[in-house]
Amino acid sequence: MAPPTIAERRPEVVTRHLAAGREGWLTSATSADHKEVAKLFIGTSLTFLAVAVLAFVLTRVHLIVPGSTIFRPDIFSQISTASMTSITVLFAVPFVLGVLGYIVPLQIGARGVALPRLNQLAYWLYAAGTLTFFVSFLYLVPETGLFPLPPLSDDVYSPQHGVDAWIGGVGLATLGFVCWAINMVATLKNMRAPGMAWRRAPVLAWAARVISYIVLVAGPAMIAGLVMLAIDRNFAGVFFDAGEGGEPLLFAHLAWIYFTAIHTIMVVFALAVISEIVPTFSRKPLFSHSAVTTSIVAVGVLGTLAWMQNLYASPVADGFAYFAMLMALALLVPIGLIYVIWTLTMWEGAISTRAPLVLAIASAIALAFGLGGQWVTSVVGAGLLLENTVAAQQDTILTIVGFVLAGFAALHYWMPKLTGRVVADGPAKAAAGLILVSAAIYGFAMFFAGLAGQPVDVYRYFSDDGVSTLNLIATIASVFLMLGVFLELVNLVRGYGAGRPAGHDPWRGSTLEWFALSPPPPHNFDAVPDVRSPEPLRDIREAIRLREETFVPPEPLPASAPAEVGVPDPGDDAGMSDEAAAVDAPTADPDDIVSGEAADDSDSDTESADEVEPADEPQPEEGRGAADEPHEGEELDTDEGSDESGDGSPVS
Amino acid sequence: MRTAYWVMLGVGSLVIIALLAGLLAAVGRFRSSGPGDEPRRLTAGRGVIAKIAGGLSVLVAIVFIFGVIVSDGVKQATAEEGTEEIDVKAIGQQWLWRFEYPAQAGGSFSEGIATIFSYSELVVPVDTKVNLSIDSTDVIHSWFVPALGPQVWAVPGEITETSFIADEEGLYHGRSTVFSGSAYPVMRASVKVVSADEYEDYITGLNAALQEGQAAVQGTDTTESAEEEE
Repeated sequence: MAPPTIAERRPEVVTRHLAAGREGWLTSATSADHKEVAKLFIGTSLTFLAVAVLAFVLTRVHLIVPGSTIFRPDIFSQISTASMTSITVLFAVPFVLGVLGYIVPLQIGARGVALPRLNQLAYWLYAAGTLTFFVSFLYLVPETGLFPLPPLSDDVYSPQHGVDAWIGGVGLATLGFVCWAINMVATLKNMRAPGMAWRRAPVLAWAARVISYIVLVAGPAMIAGLVMLAIDRNFAGVFFDAGEGGEPLLFAHLAWIYFTAIHTIMVVFALAVISEIVPTFSRKPLFSHSAVTTSIVAVGVLGTLAWMQNLYASPVADGFAYFAMLMALALLVPIGLIYVIWTLTMWEGAISTRAPLVLAIASAIALAFGLGGQWVTSVVGAGLLLENTVAAQQDTILTIVGFVLAGFAALHYWMPKLTGRVVADGPAKAAAGLILVSAAIYGFAMFFAGLAGQPVDVYRYFSDDGVSTLNLIATIASVFLMLGVFLELVNLVRGYGAGRPAGHDPWRGSTLEWFALSPPPPHNFDAVPDVRSPEPLRDIREAIRLREETFVPPEPLPASAPAEVGVPDPGDDAGMSDEAAAVDAPTADPDDIVSGEAADDSDSDTESADEVEPADEPQPEEGRGAADEPHEGEELDTDEGSDESGDGSPVS
Repeated sequence: MRTAYWVMLGVGSLVIIALLAGLLAAVGRFRSSGPGDEPRRLTAGRGVIAKIAGGLSVLVAIVFIFGVIVSDGVKQATAEEGTEEIDVKAIGQQWLWRFEYPAQAGGSFSEGIATIFSYSELVVPVDTKVNLSIDSTDVIHSWFVPALGPQVWAVPGEITETSFIADEEGLYHGRSTVFSGSAYPVMRASVKVVSADEYEDYITGLNAALQEGQAAVQGTDTTESAEEEE
């Protein structure tokens, strides 16, 4: 289990002789290491992605012809409830928490997380939630849809226990998310690498911060709603009982805050992942780091505040409706800005179309249509026409598809860090195309069906509705959508177990997670470098390159001729890395993983040096040494304009 | 209302196409030429970002003002001077609608007289402003006849209001759009728009049926079988 480390000679860092002999699953289940916990999150949530997609296709197959009788109405509602709950609560959020929980501590140069046991508890609460919800399939499944709106979900209209299981499952999972968010906020506040001011923090770390705060706001709101509903159902409460002075709409608002927050989390995560991938694969810095991070904060705030854009038809005052409309419309500014920045980042870049970038672009396309559709229906007049029809639903589904593609992109991008292996490109690109095309066809079909008035969640439509052909098309498209998702899931599982070796920095990343080994040791880093820009690893690389270029051999005797003796001393740092590269390059680099695009030695030697060489000097010292002088002046006076000055400084 | 939607759809499509065209153009044009390829490190000054964000903000502001204008009072129909008005109560219940009319055509509920009612099909006169008071006796439903106006929720314990004017005679169909239990998909609402004379006849017929029923038994449900279609 313990990967090779460069710290062998340091007494304070012990990675050998950890409790050996435990079985793998036992280690995973009991370890409080954020990486082990995160892998559990990712694995479990991907299982529920498969479940949700399968259930979704089952509902679509049922709707293939008008008046279909494949499933009984209650069975249909149960499958539909399982699908919607799985994709949001049991897949989307925990998947985000998993990826962020693995990568972000590495990105900020932390050697662990602030509250590891709380982090671990988060996973097990979530696992208990999934179990609680799905165990109800053994007795009575909830059939109240994604929103068990109170009069329907109270003990009069839903006397069966399925709704209680739904409450318990979602409540436990949400409590887990809140625990995770507390830990992430504490980690981000306290454990960043020296010099990593917020303006230099990677985009994904910003996303983690925003997502944590969203969870901390929306999670407790949902838990409060669920507790009230549970009291209403089981202890004769009247919170939502209009006959006793309660307010049924209160639950609708609390639930929409939560599910709008989940939607926002998906969007923020997808935008952040694409913003990480695009610069790496165009070999350019993000066009404006500060604008992207600010925009991500804005998306988080505006998106969560816009929850009432789904409640225009309910009795809300006009002022609130217009407020929600303004928030939803204003989302165009940060999201549009991010799209423009992606374009400008790739402009005149050296783009390599590997799987992460292809998936990221596919995600950007799906998101544009999904979010664009939501932007259109956020105008009150248009929303009242399409709200709760399949036309509005397909916007949400396209956004979720965009999120799933971004998730796949993230896994392709960071899988080398998780396992030291790279996932195959071919199936991923095929899956991206398949998913995107079938989602687009589905979207268009459902768009027209929604305009014709087909509502959501129906198990039946009628042949005189004029939507039969559209539903047939949507069903066929959804089958292909499922095939695409499953193809990619299989590809990921294969890549996890048996991908080709990747080395420590296959993409030539510029953030700190690529400074760690692959997979990282339990303590992540033997030495944490100082950070002087949003691209710390690039700074280190530049510093090493500079050292090599300007290398002058040491002159023990001032009298001898200085000019001719330009050969590096084998004992020197730089010479050592060259040797390491020579040893390492044939095995890991050339065509295996980078297929001739990142295979040049200027980067691979810095990374592979610590893999092969037990000597721990080169990297930390380069990082720190180069950090010394230009560091002081620059840290104080420039902030985000420092993209230029930040990377210029080690050279000058 | 449809106009508002089509305008928004046009604006939204243009925005999406513009953003994606840039993105795809960049991907298509600037492929890496090989391992040693080191592009220029171009980053933004403050001005560029401010200009882009400012432009988008102006668009958002315009769209917001447009949205407020087209959405203002959208739940209520605007009647011209002299348009006749009738009041109808629409009461949602699992899984059909009950419509209550004042006993006299053109009357209102304030007179305290007995109401007459129908199920599933609402009959209204053409070119008349119909004021609907919407309520629910059990769970949340949604009143939605796409051809006749926006959605309005029926929330138990709360009366919501909307109004519409039907310009043409005919039968209009609608659906509830809020999940309300197992038979939710068949909770359809129909609005039959008839001429003023036919409406008079209809109300008279309902009155007669009601009195007949009351005379027969001390219940009010005998009209139900006659009126129900589903």
